Amino acid sequence: MIDRDQWMRLLRDAAGEVASQPQRIAELCVQVLGVDGAGISLVSDTGHRGVVCATDDVSRRIEDLQITLGEGPCMDTVRTGAPVLVADLLDRDDIAAWRWQTFIAAAADEGVRAVFALPLRIGAINVGALDMYRSRPGALDDGELSAALLAAEAAAVALLWLNTSSDGAWADGADGSDTGVGYQAQVHQATGMIMVQLGVTIEQAFLLLRARAFSTSRPLQDVAVDVVERRLRFSPEDP
Amino acid sequence: MTEENSRTADVASGASTREHALARTFVVLADTLVADYDVVELLDQLVEACVSVLGVTAAGLLLDDQKGNLALVASSSEETRLLEIFQLQNNEGPCLDCVRSGAAVASDDLEADRDRWPTFVPEALAAGFRSVSAVPLRLRDETIGGLNMFSDAASALAGEDRELAQALADVATIGILQQRSAHRTSVLAEQLQHALNSRVVIEQAKGVIAERDQVSMEIAFATLRKHARDHNLKLGDVAAAVVRRSTDPGGVPPLSS
Repeated sequence: MIDRDQWMRLLRDAAGEVASQPQRIAELCVQVLGVDGAGISLVSDTGHRGVVCATDDVSRRIEDLQITLGEGPCMDTVRTGAPVLVADLLDRDDIAAWRWQTFIAAAADEGVRAVFALPLRIGAINVGALDMYRSRPGALDDGELSAALLAAEAAAVALLWLNTSSDGAWADGADGSDTGVGYQAQVHQATGMIMVQLGVTIEQAFLLLRARAFSTSRPLQDVAVDVVERRLRFSPEDP
Repeated sequence: MTEENSRTADVASGASTREHALARTFVVLADTLVADYDVVELLDQLVEACVSVLGVTAAGLLLDDQKGNLALVASSSEETRLLEIFQLQNNEGPCLDCVRSGAAVASDDLEADRDRWPTFVPEALAAGFRSVSAVPLRLRDETIGGLNMFSDAASALAGEDRELAQALADVATIGILQQRSAHRTSVLAEQLQHALNSRVVIEQAKGVIAERDQVSMEIAFATLRKHARDHNLKLGDVAAAVVRRSTDPGGVPPLSS
């Protein structure tokens, strides 16, 4: 049984240098969730896909494979926003698996029998997917899936930073102090408002909000409330 | 006549009116559950039903976010102060007690319960509420959230009213669990996360509309909901479209048209 608080601590401790956060989250999944490999793929606004990290060669190849083929659990989870959990790829009764004939054949060659793909998202923000595999058939139990969902939330935030801060402008704000953004309404309302104020995407708006909180050493929630209460407005002239 | 009975009588003038409203509510909910529905919209209908059928002043639904917090997923009003009162029960309050114990919690007179919830009570009183009730969202031996109701009258839900509230809470539980029946593997944690993420999309869209139209969050939500109803669209789909299309704010079609 996975202890939730302990798992949250582990995910928080995965913070550190921004660029290696996704890798550390994937490694934690392998250590704790009883999977043989994990990988994280990015999907950009424009539909561009890329492998961000993988814990082993097999994981990397099955990530690459899905991007090349354009089919597989990772593609489905990003499209539908729902987890895709296949306990046995060779189980002909599994409806989910019927759609990926080419992927399944190739994955089986790699010795992969079970695949689990979780979407990385924050509301309407879709960042990519966390993929895990087992070389033997077997479902994730409830505790493992719960823990995996928390890992996906942490990975979503880590990946957003990585994806959008390539010019370094926001990288300073990436303290990684939280494993997720939670469900505070004002944070998400403020994100929508900033989007309109600056004419940027929802992803960029979210990052700018977080960066402002970091650069002014204030809690994210407090800055968000200022935006919602219209005491703080983001302007394109801001540094 | 007991106080409880007189309250019930006040709420609906005549049992037939009330029963009619109640029957209609359950028919609407049942219709929703058999179709391809939007979970936030269903929960939204449920909290509205609490207000219209049970006669409470405000109702909200909070779910366990699987990280040890309660998150608001539906509210009968989007008024900021009300949302804050729901949300502050993350630390203390009847809804938190209800979720922790898995049993209904009520206070007939908040004034007399200041010691019980020292932070929560002054906020609730300041908002004009005098009594509060909370019933659990139960799944077998697990409690996944709470349905929280406030009244400006000094009497909490009791008797038949409380049973009805519990029935509405049970419908909410079914609604949350049923939403993804198309998926072979559905686990509670995933269903809760999906419901909460759906709410996040709505908050993002509210922000877009509030800023674009320079209106309150409450009006922004009403705009979203009206558009969804007028066009027979799911609330979540409309919200997602607002957030996605608004990447070019000049190109956002006016929603209210």
